[in-house]
Parts: sequence; structure tokens; C-alpha cells
Amino acid sequence: MENVLALLFGNSLTRLVFFPTVACLPLLFLRGTRAVRIYALVVSLIELAFCLQYVATHWGPDGFPLVRDAGPDGGPISWIPSFGIRYDLAMDGISMPLVVLGVALLPIVLLGSWRGIERHWPAFAASLLLLTTGVLGALVAHDLFLFYVFWEVMLVPMYLLIGIWGGERRIYAAVKFFLFTIAGSLLMLVAILWMAWTYQRLNGGVWSFALADLMRLELPLSQQIWLFAAFALTFAVKVPMFPFHTWLPDAHVEAPTGGSVILAGILLKLGTYCFLRFDLPLFPRATEAAQPLLIALALTGILYGALVAWVQTDMKKLVAYSSIAHLGFVMLGLLALDLVAWQGALLQMVNHGLSTGALFLLVGMIYDRRHTKKFEEFGGLAKVMPLFAFFLVFSALASVGLPSLNGFVGEFMILAGSYRALGWPAVVASFGVVLAAVYLLKMIQLTIWGPLTKEENKGLHDLDAREIWTLVPLCVLMLWIGVAPQTFLAPSERALRRVLAEYRQGVERPEVAQATLRPPADTAMASAAATNSGTETGR
Amino acid sequence: MNRADLISLLPEMILTAGGVLVLLLDAIAPRLRRSFTGLALLTTVAAGWGAWEAWAQLGSALTWNGVLETSRITLAFSLVVLVATALSLLASQGYLRRERILSGEYHALLLWCATGLLLMLRGTELLTVFVALELLSLCLYCLAAFHRQVSLSGEAAIKYFLMGAFVSAFVLYGISLVYGTTGSTRFAEIGQKLGAAGEVPVFAALGLLMLIAGFGFKMSVVPFHAWSPDTYQGAPSPFVAFLSVAPKVASALVLYRLLDAVIQGGGQTAGRWDDLVGILAVSSMLVGNLLALVQRDIKRMLAYSGIAHMGYLLLALVVLDRGSLGPVIVYLLAYVLMNAGAFAVVAMLYTREGEQHLISDLSGWGYRYPLLAACLTVCMLSLGGIPPTMGFLGKYVVFMNAVSDGLVGLAVVGVLASLVGVFYYLRVVYVLYMRPESRQPEGLLIDGWGRTAAVLAALGTLILGIWPTGLLQWLWEATGGR
Repeated sequence: MENVLALLFGNSLTRLVFFPTVACLPLLFLRGTRAVRIYALVVSLIELAFCLQYVATHWGPDGFPLVRDAGPDGGPISWIPSFGIRYDLAMDGISMPLVVLGVALLPIVLLGSWRGIERHWPAFAASLLLLTTGVLGALVAHDLFLFYVFWEVMLVPMYLLIGIWGGERRIYAAVKFFLFTIAGSLLMLVAILWMAWTYQRLNGGVWSFALADLMRLELPLSQQIWLFAAFALTFAVKVPMFPFHTWLPDAHVEAPTGGSVILAGILLKLGTYCFLRFDLPLFPRATEAAQPLLIALALTGILYGALVAWVQTDMKKLVAYSSIAHLGFVMLGLLALDLVAWQGALLQMVNHGLSTGALFLLVGMIYDRRHTKKFEEFGGLAKVMPLFAFFLVFSALASVGLPSLNGFVGEFMILAGSYRALGWPAVVASFGVVLAAVYLLKMIQLTIWGPLTKEENKGLHDLDAREIWTLVPLCVLMLWIGVAPQTFLAPSERALRRVLAEYRQGVERPEVAQATLRPPADTAMASAAATNSGTETGR
Repeated sequence: MNRADLISLLPEMILTAGGVLVLLLDAIAPRLRRSFTGLALLTTVAAGWGAWEAWAQLGSALTWNGVLETSRITLAFSLVVLVATALSLLASQGYLRRERILSGEYHALLLWCATGLLLMLRGTELLTVFVALELLSLCLYCLAAFHRQVSLSGEAAIKYFLMGAFVSAFVLYGISLVYGTTGSTRFAEIGQKLGAAGEVPVFAALGLLMLIAGFGFKMSVVPFHAWSPDTYQGAPSPFVAFLSVAPKVASALVLYRLLDAVIQGGGQTAGRWDDLVGILAVSSMLVGNLLALVQRDIKRMLAYSGIAHMGYLLLALVVLDRGSLGPVIVYLLAYVLMNAGAFAVVAMLYTREGEQHLISDLSGWGYRYPLLAACLTVCMLSLGGIPPTMGFLGKYVVFMNAVSDGLVGLAVVGVLASLVGVFYYLRVVYVLYMRPESRQPEGLLIDGWGRTAAVLAALGTLILGIWPTGLLQWLWEATGGR
């Protein structure tokens, strides 16, 4: 306890993860919507400053190293020693971009919700802050038990965000979101327990949930398949992969703008991130076996999401379905098991957070004005709202993958990498790019081009300063990534290489008939971690 | 009788004396009635100190000719019972004043219930356990009927009493059968005799089954659960905070002792007892969760959810070893905190005792009573097993125990059952925060005592869920588990 408190006051991941929670306490006493809004915004900016400070401190010349929160003795901090559960927070090049994205979206979401949220601001701010803690914790936890706790912690605030501030069918959407997500994760809990128990059995009764320790388990394919399935189900629901996607359109459409941005921006990424962090390296053989099926699902998701998006008449639904297609791309990139594809997938996770986040914000802005999201109610908005039109076109083009904007780099790398590794699936997926252009341009055409027919739209006022400043950071980042992608690819390359090497080793090792435990020195992870942070991870 | 005997009985003596004192004061100084809650609470705390002191002085010991056990395990169980008593007492004051039934008897009976429970969980011999069980049961019947003017309270009591009396006869007959075949009423000797015989004779098995049924009834395990929804619904809510948790704590330990004795006799039949407990566990989880799903009355919903929770608890006893006790006590502590906390809030937010306590009556009250609603939400999430609450920790240790014993299938069933649970617990949260108000608060009395109960329960659930390190270490040392 003292160790964690000490970390809380230093430049550490603990501070990054728990500062939002601690900052919730004053919300109990703050009165008045305005005060709460400003307080929450200040907290989110401080959190962003903490995040940038942390990243800047550890950014190395050859990428972002693995850094972890260590106790005073330099070793990992024990949380529940009876079960060998550790308080093990660590960040590497894979989680870093997503953490930064998650933290950076927080002030944007608050600004974007400034007027859209009318009731219960203290609860809204508290939900967002607690959600941030859950998300960041899940991104940096390297102990599976701790990870599971954070993973579940995310559910309740998101449930409240959708259920309290959502649209017409918000209750249905909130409950569906909750049940879908928890159904997957409870099975993952059993899988985690089983792995920890097996580890304990092979390790002379010493328990551990540490990722690095459980990586040393060498399991036969028959067991790997089940464990892989339990993990994959959880993450596939979160991503969401076809056919587990049905909660997403409901949740997105009903959620308030801020909730949608958080959901699309960072929550969905946790699914893909965890595939990369846990599922693939822990169960390489099962990954290999399930690869064709999962690729088929990813491709289905790309085409299905795009086609369904095409026929939508509601702007928000269209963006929601486009998320399914985009996340399908990310999954395809991950399943290609190729470095370039992985780099593209990681970049695309960030890209999707930026461009889809911006699109949801824009939909929210127009909804605040007109209280409708139907295409048929709009048309010719460019004449009365030129700034709105500019940002919508910009974000949509980024989402489509226009060269020199961010989406192009991510999609191109995914397609190039997966063509190299897989062949024809990349060809099928490239149709998804075409379809993306079709449905997004349709949205643009129907809303902002054409004649201004509706009387109600003639008096609409353009974006105000607050709304512009909500969008500008996102657009700057989109352009930056598109023009200079290397800056964003470099920090993660080493971490991705390491995970890929682990995966390859796992596949190449001879198949075992029974669960066995490799000695610690064998894992690349342990040695890499030891050199990076100077701490010992293996026992 | 020597000094050790007396010291070992310290907590029970304190509780009994406290009860008597309250009753006397009620007769001679009725104007002091409002302070009875404080007095009873003080007695409970003193009893906790007494239990600690007895253990500190005696260590692990058997007193009263080996009839009464003092050990870290009984201490842990006793403290859990006393926590439940304290929470129930805190919730009672406002309720009793509101319903105009504040009197000494209520407090005295509750303290004597606790006495019976402590004796029951410390007894190493069946007759002692039976006497303690009767002491407990009689007080419970009276308390269930305590709201005399409300007919539903009487109905609750009579249902509980009839079934309970029947079960007492069962238990007594079971004891006689076990005594007849093994020649002893002590758990340890029964185990030895059965072990020497290498099997469980038919009549002993019959007797043991009757005993399991009896304690299963107190724990409201399927198929002995039918009384609990009706009784919970009619009985005074703050008392249900006690009834729904404390008897289950002691009964679980007695059940453990019984099964432990049987397993020693094991031989080739040991597996069948495992199967029996497994069937009880699975049927409780499924029946409890599925029936809770369709309840509209929050007290009935909590009754069915309690049945389901006892199912999870039994998972830890399916493969019995000494390591099973750790998960059991952690689960019970979690259950006590979250369930008693929930009933404490229910006691404050519902009037019109005897009528239905509709969940939908809480619509929108999350903003009217932010503190109580937050406590109720924490308790509900904990009951649903969502981290970082104690309820999650309890589920975790129980499932962990099941997986370690190779019962992955049972663990998966438990996990799926708890998924059903999440749905109806969430409904309370949904009603609190996401629906417009439908009811004006009328005649509510929300006092500091009751708030304290709710806050203590919710905070305990959260803090022990986030930082269980010390607690677990202490318990695991006690039970010699992992």
C-alpha cells in the first residue's frame, strides 16, 4: 500500500492510471454545472500533462522501451501475495500510443459534451474519469488478474454513460452492451484461473498471474484452443468482430456524443490491443490453427460493415457500422502476423480513434442543433455551415484513406503486410477501401452538398469557437500522421518485433503432449524486460 | 469448569448479558428505548473483543470437555456473524421508530440470535450444535413476527416456524441415527468411526443426509429454499439483513464439519458425497438466479439471489479439504457486507411494510438520495461480482478453488449463472439512475444509524475488494490453505 501511494505522487503509471479516480472525490462536493465542467476539463488537461511528461521521460532513441512501476526494491509490487497476484503496471511501445490517445481524447470528449449533456454533470464527469482509469489500467496491466479487474471496471461507467445520457432506446443498448461484454469476460476469467493454476502446479505451488510467467507455459494444442477461444471471445465482443458486433450499433446510436467518442476512440481498441498483447503470444499454436477462421470473420466484418453502412439513413448509424469495417481491417492486420501489417494495425487503431472520434463529434454537433441525425433532414449544409462542412469532409476523407491523411498510411500498411503474408485476403479487403469511399462520400453528399431544401436548416449557425477547438487537435493529428507517419511508427517497432518473435518461437517449438513450464531464461520477454527496465521479471 | 472454560465462553456471555440488560431496562426505564441500539451495538463490539480475547488467551483450544472449539477459524466466523449483527442493529433503529415498534425485546432477541450462532459454529458436537440451533431458531421466529400489526409479518413467521420446526425434528432424528451407528455425537469421533469402518453405513448415511437437509434449510439451499422468499418479504427489513446472512455463516461451518466427518469415512463412497454437494450447488445457482430474474419485489429478488449465492458458496465445499474453508469465509464475509448493506438501504427507502417492495418504486431516487443509492449500487455490483468489490473477490476465490480441484465444468456453470445474476442486479442500478421518479417519499425516516450501516457495508465491500491483502493472509494462515 505504501509503495503504491509513493508511486501515486511520482511520475509513474500509477499516477497516470489513478489520478482520474482520485480527482473524482471533489465532484461529490462541487455544485453547479459550470463549475463541474471546468473542473473536469482542468483535471483532464492535468492528466494529459502527466501523460506527456511520462512519455517524454521514457522516450528513447530507438523507440519506446518497456517501463514498469517498480517497488522500492526495484522488483514488482505484490498486491495479494496469497495468490501471487502483483500490482504490475508496465508500458511499452504497443500500449503507449493507445494510452496517449485515450488520455488525449478525454478533454476533447468533455469539450464535445459541453452542451449536449444537460443533466447530472457531476455523475457524467465521474463516469468519464472512472472509465479513463479502467481503460488506462487495462492498457498497462501486465498481470492477468489486475488486467481482468481493470477490464471489468470499464463496464459500469460506460453502462451509466449510455444508460443515463443516451437516446430513446438507451436502456436496451446499455444492458446489451453490458451483458455482451461481461459474458465474454467471465469465461476469460475461468481461462485465466486455469492458466494460473496450471502454472502453480508446474512451479511447485508458487502462484503467479504475471504475463511474463504465464508466457512460459507450454501447452498442448487441445488446451490452447479452449483458452484461446475464451480470450478471443472476450476480445472479439469488444472489437467487435462479426458476428459479435450487434451490440455496437445500438450502443453507438444511443450513447451521447461523448460516450460514442470514447467508445469508438478507445474502448474498441482495447479488444484489438488485447488480441495483440495476450491472445496471440500466449497461445501461438491455437492462433495458427484459428487464423483462417478469424481472417474469414475479419473479412466478413470489413465487407458486411461497409455494406450495411452504405444503406443507413442515419448519420450516427453509418459511422457506427463503418467502425465495424475499420476494426475488421485492424483485425486482418493483426492476423497477418507480419511486422508491417502489425505496424499498420497499431497505427490504424489510433487513426480510427481520431477520425471516427471526429466524425462522432461532428454528428453530435449537428444533432445538438437539429435533434435529428437523418440524412433526409439535411442537404446543402455547406452553404450555412462552411466550417462544419470543412471538418466533416476532412474527417471523412481521413477515414476513407486519402493519401497524405492518416487513414491511408494505416490501411496501406495493413494491406501491404497482409498481402505479403496471406495473399488473396488482402485483395478481398481492398474492396472494403472502395466501399468506405462509397458510403462516406454518400454521407457527405447527402448532408452538406446539394441544394439547401429544408427551411429549418437555413437558420443554422456555424461551429463556434469551442466546437472548433474540439476538432482542431484531432485534425492536426490526422494530418501529422498522414504526412510524417515514421514519427508514430518508430516507437512501437521494437515492441512489435519482440511480440512477433515470441509468437514465432511459440509456433516453432516442438509440440508438447502435456502442459510444461519453460525455464525463465527461455523467454525473450523476460530478458528484454530485464535489459530495458533493469528489473527482474522472471523468477 | 475451569478458567479456560469461562474465558472461552466470553463472547456468548457478553451477548447474553447484554440481551438481558436491554430487556430489564425496557421494563424499568422505557424512556431509554432510543439508546438501546447503541447499547446493543456496544454489546456486539464487546462480544467481538471477547471472541478475540478468548482466542488470544487460549489459542487453538477445546473447552467444556472438548465441546467448544476456540481457534482462528471459529474466531473468523464469529467476527463475521458479529459484523452482520452490528449492521442489522444499525439499520434497525430508524425502522423500528418509523414503524413505532421500538422496544427492548427486538434488541435482546437479536443479541441472543448471535449467541446461538456463536455457539453453533463453535460446537464440535452435534447436541451442542442442536441446542444452539434451537436457541437461534426460536429467536428468529419471534423476530420474523416482530411487526405484529402487519399480517404479512405473521405469515412470514408462521411459514418459517412450521418449516423450521419440521427441520428441527429432521436434524434431531438425523443426530439419533448417526449416534446409533457410530456411538458418538462428536464430529471428530464420528469421522474416526466412519474412517475405521471404511464406509458410511446406510443408517449413518441417512442420518447425515437429514443433517445436511437441516443445515441446507438454514442456508436456504435448493431444494430446501422455499421458505426464504416469503419470509424475507414479510419480515421486518433490518431483521432480514440479519436473517439473510448470519444463520448461513454458522450453518456453512457446521456443514463443512459434517462433510469433513463423512469424507473421512469416505472409501469408495466419498465421490458420491462430492456429487451430492455439487448437485446442491448447481441447482441452487440455477434456480436462485433464474427465479430472481422474474421478481419485481426487491426483497424477494434478494432472497432468490441469496439462494444463488449459497450455490456459489457450496462450490467451495464440493471437493472438501482444509483449503476449502478460506474461500468459504471470504465469500461469507463478502456476502454479509453486500447483502446486509442492501437490506439496510431497503429498510430505509420503503415504507408500507407488508406490502410489496417493488424495485420500480426506487425509480429516479438515485438523485434524490445520492448517498444511499450509491451504497445500494455498490452492493448490487458486488452481489453481481463486478470488480473491484469484495463480491468479485469472493467469487474469484471460490471459482479458483473449484478450478484447482479440477472442477472446471462447475466453475463454468457458476460463471454463466453469475452472468444471469448481473442482469437483475443491474436492473436496480438502472431503476435508480435511469428512470424518472414515480413515487413521492412519504413517511420515510432516514437516520444517521441507518446511513452508517449502508456506508460501512459499501465501503467495506469496496476497500476489502481493492485491498484484501492483510485479510487474506490472516485467513489463509488460519485455514492452512494456499
